[in-house]
Amino acid sequence: MSYSNTRLVPPFNRSPSAVAIRSVSNYAADVEAILWEMLQELRPPVRDKSVLLKPNFVEPDIEGMINTHPVVIRAAREAFLRLGAKSVIVAEGPGHERDTEGILEELRLRDYLGPLDRSFVDLNTDEVSQVGTRTRASRLKSLFLPKAVLAADFVVSMPKMKTHHWVGVTLALKNMFGIVPGSCYGWPKNVLHWAGISKSILDINSTVRPDFAIVDGIVGMEGNGPIQGTPKASGVLVAGDDPVAVDATCARIMGLVPERIDYLQRAALLLGNMSEERIEQLGETIANTSKPFEMLPAFQKIRA
Amino acid sequence: MSAGIGFYAFSTQERDIHTPAQDFFPDLLRHAQNADGGWGYRPELPSTTEPTAWSVLALQAHEESSSKTLASATGWLQQAQMTAGAWPTGSGKEPGCWVSALACLALISLKGPSQNSVIRGASWLSETWPAEGNFLWRLRQQKQAHSVVHQDHGLRGWGWTPNTASWVEPTAYALILLQNIPTLYRPSRAVKRIQMGEKMLYDRACPGGGWNAGNPLVYGVPGVPRISPTVWALLALRNYQNHDINVEGAEWLRQRYQSLRSPASLALAHLCLKVYGRAENLLETRLGDLYGNNQFLQSIPAMAWASMALGGVPCWIESSSQAIEAK
Repeated sequence: MSYSNTRLVPPFNRSPSAVAIRSVSNYAADVEAILWEMLQELRPPVRDKSVLLKPNFVEPDIEGMINTHPVVIRAAREAFLRLGAKSVIVAEGPGHERDTEGILEELRLRDYLGPLDRSFVDLNTDEVSQVGTRTRASRLKSLFLPKAVLAADFVVSMPKMKTHHWVGVTLALKNMFGIVPGSCYGWPKNVLHWAGISKSILDINSTVRPDFAIVDGIVGMEGNGPIQGTPKASGVLVAGDDPVAVDATCARIMGLVPERIDYLQRAALLLGNMSEERIEQLGETIANTSKPFEMLPAFQKIRA
Repeated sequence: MSAGIGFYAFSTQERDIHTPAQDFFPDLLRHAQNADGGWGYRPELPSTTEPTAWSVLALQAHEESSSKTLASATGWLQQAQMTAGAWPTGSGKEPGCWVSALACLALISLKGPSQNSVIRGASWLSETWPAEGNFLWRLRQQKQAHSVVHQDHGLRGWGWTPNTASWVEPTAYALILLQNIPTLYRPSRAVKRIQMGEKMLYDRACPGGGWNAGNPLVYGVPGVPRISPTVWALLALRNYQNHDINVEGAEWLRQRYQSLRSPASLALAHLCLKVYGRAENLLETRLGDLYGNNQFLQSIPAMAWASMALGGVPCWIESSSQAIEAK
């Protein structure tokens, strides 16, 4: 289960995590076949489960560096269905733009998934339930969260590989900000900023545990991310069953030291593995796929 | 037109958006009303404040305020109001917030027996300040953000939620409401709040025209304007149509209008351009085509905006010159 009954496991009592890395030159490549191979290696337990894919949609962008690419989303949907998932829906609550359908249409998501009134849920306006946060790192004692997320058996965080001007990087854990509904918290979800972004990341991810992560790093963003940076063709897909391990691996690919990223440090205490010794690397190596990202001056300190 | 899940069970298959467009969206809204009188964000979801307010604002052009539809909607809005005068987004467990302006506006538009609710709501809004200016905020500005964002933090509007910063859209909604409160009932602070809110919107305009959520310049990089905040800022500032920033914003909106691919943005942009005397034709056809794509994702606010865009200019966003003409 992604929500409730998910124990917080301290590092000394945690089993190793598996993370797969594959080079993908561009979106015209056979992403579906590549992702299928990755998931066959990782074998996520989705048989007969309802799967919710949570991409990162922020606002329209013509250079394809802000939002998770629809090719990757379709590939994930097909792969999870082939693995026996009962259903797969795509769900997101964009943080800056109220017109969710406008983003989807600019992205041409319908061309990849078919009519979206059946396959997509706008998390900004879904029915909500009030849920106590499992950790209390921030001052948020509870959150109103969408029922589509709370009801899903298996949540997959599908971010873009990007820098972030407030917290350094935005990957699988930060992507979960998008489950917090704009109808309750606004556009942007300013409450989370006031509560502390890093602390809120921990509270959200401890409350709704993403079961899996797939990072679209085929084209990412460096510099002044997550919106105003420049495209970074890092040519990589990263996937795994532990979002903390996936984020730490992505950070290393980006030429960063995950231990210096505040929210990853916090997450590694309770949610997943950060150290390389605790991560079984499948597919290609970090060294072979590493392409250091340009960082804003405020985040030079997290570079390797 | 394809039938969606559940929602379209009520809808006859031969219904054609291209012919009775003016009636189509109001009909959808009527059929989506919950038994308790409110609307959810999608049909069959529990009633919440924002979609109920937009539905009322859309339907008041098509129904008598005493109609069963609007009377029960009024009842829902009144029972959802909190003791302090604000409205929560939905369940009643949330704090009072940005939707309060929309709920008040909906009740004003009905000109019904809701005067007391409106006065309490407007009073709450005029007494509710965002977090800029408090000690924590000033400390943060000194510590980090002074060189990051470029705006006048002394100008305070309204936030989305209590104890957070001012943003363009909730400020615009609150301004439109306070502008529509008859002078006799205006809270004492309203005039000052309106003046400061208008200044705040001008301060937050993106370089080159239009508005985004409220950060026009971050790390020295100009923000990209977006449709919804631009529309609501322009509507809140509709009485200054010749101001350079209004002119730039309206021109940016006009240029974007042709390429819009979603019903919500298209309807809102059309409504705004109509107020600015720059609306273009073919809205019905374009909305019909877009409805065929994803059935508006079944969004009740999008249906309400489409309904409003296809009608005349609602009185609550008429500019002063339009209001005079109408009289």
